[in-house]
Amino acid sequence: MSGTAGGASMEVIRDALRLVIDPELGYNIVDLGLIYDVALTGDRVARITMTTTTRGCPATDYLQSGARDAALSVDGVGTAEVTLTYDPPWTPQMMTPEAKAHFGIVDE
Amino acid sequence: MLGATLSRWTLAYFGVGVFFLLAAEALMALGVGYPASALRAPQTLLLVHCVTVGWLSLLMCGALFQFVPVLVAGPLYSNVLPLPALLLILAGLLALLASFLQLAGLMPMIPHCFLAAGVLLGSGFALALWTLGRTLAAAWPLNLPARFVAIGLCSVAAAVTLGIIFTLGYGGYTRTLFLRELQARGLPLHIIAGLGGWLTFTAMGVSHRLLAMFMLSPELDGAPTRWTFRLGTLALAIVIIAGPVAIAAQGNPDLALLIAGLIGLACLALYARDVVQLYRKRVRRVIELNSRMAGIALAHLAAATLLTIVCAAFDLFGRHSGALVFLVCFGWLSGLGLAKLYKIVAFVTWLECYGPVLGKTPTPRVQDLVVESRAAKWFWLHFIAVDVATLCLLLGAPLIFRAAAAAMLLGSVGIALELVRTRRLVNVKAALRLPAGTRQPRLLFTFVAS
Repeated sequence: MSGTAGGASMEVIRDALRLVIDPELGYNIVDLGLIYDVALTGDRVARITMTTTTRGCPATDYLQSGARDAALSVDGVGTAEVTLTYDPPWTPQMMTPEAKAHFGIVDE
Repeated sequence: MLGATLSRWTLAYFGVGVFFLLAAEALMALGVGYPASALRAPQTLLLVHCVTVGWLSLLMCGALFQFVPVLVAGPLYSNVLPLPALLLILAGLLALLASFLQLAGLMPMIPHCFLAAGVLLGSGFALALWTLGRTLAAAWPLNLPARFVAIGLCSVAAAVTLGIIFTLGYGGYTRTLFLRELQARGLPLHIIAGLGGWLTFTAMGVSHRLLAMFMLSPELDGAPTRWTFRLGTLALAIVIIAGPVAIAAQGNPDLALLIAGLIGLACLALYARDVVQLYRKRVRRVIELNSRMAGIALAHLAAATLLTIVCAAFDLFGRHSGALVFLVCFGWLSGLGLAKLYKIVAFVTWLECYGPVLGKTPTPRVQDLVVESRAAKWFWLHFIAVDVATLCLLLGAPLIFRAAAAAMLLGSVGIALELVRTRRLVNVKAALRLPAGTRQPRLLFTFVAS
């Protein structure tokens, strides 16, 4: 696996994923900590591992396809594979400091 | 299967439900039914079934079609069957209301109207139960919130069965002594199975999950919550099974009701503990209007429980059972129902409209579909009017009760208009309202891609 392909890099893909919001929390899925991993292979394949705030969330399909579409919008990404996982389960402590501040969440 | 977790007909259930809520409140404001008429008068029965079947049961069915798949993390068994179920329940309810009007002498007699009501309502609820039951069965073994729903479904089956027996009795079809005894003495069983088992116990289970989801609270599945479930199930089993047996054996279910009542109180005390935990341990400090108003509804459940204890202690059920049922129906169940409706309509509308373009274009938040500050006043009007109306029933002030019912109607109209605005995307900024690839949602139908 490599970190860049064409114009794409994992950071650029992460930035693109910020277009996708969790509808309930109204905040982007990257800063909520819902994106567990972003990898980019030399053959322009972006592999994203993500979760949802709760298992069975009605928005799951949309969040997955939204992440795929956002990754595909990045130059240099030809294919995007999105894997859903609940291991480990998401907790609010996975949010970035900015997102925690937005929701008034105190660090544990 | 994109959008497979959206329920196609939930909004139709909500629309019909809200219509019956407004109709019931208008009837109360006009002085139809209790307290102007006796508790068992046909006018009161008409009013009660507008509220319990037309409003609360349709609201609960619609919500379950959307949220049982969330609870079990699996698809709804059928997105088609809810429509015929709704039509059958609606037709059965209209036949039932017509039957009560005939009993009251306000409508010419139509032969076999009660029979038609029983058959149609029974078929409609059976179809709804089949759809929800198969969805739950596919996810066996069930998690704790889903088990609450399963017991709620058993309770509605019992409530509807008793209701059908009553309609057969009113229609003059029952010859068996046991069925006639059930009709004479089984009303408390019908009410407890319906309001307690179907509506309250199911709402308790769903609220465990929804409150945790919406407030980012840790989900409760520890020993106290499991005991909440066990005690509630035991209390309902006593009412539903031992109650009819006691009527058959002794002609009187009072002992069974007393034992079930004591166990039910323990269940409610544990549920109160669960709810306090959910609110206290929430990560989201600033909570939305639906969670705040759900808290007020839960306080009304506590008030109704206290009123039950006082009535039992001082032998006042005969005098205040009308006020008690009113408080449960409007303070607790309608309060919680309206609060969750406000959230669910916005959430479902968001999923339907903006879910398909997520990741392609900037989208609004669910919160952008509503204006909470404007809706809050209608919720407060609802709760204050319910409290005044309950006091009027307890103190015997029927005229002020009618004024309070008119205020409830005003509150409900205000909330209903907010729901229409949400559905019409009126509150969303124009720049974000309908980006390319989206469509304006229909009022009573959810577009589900297949």
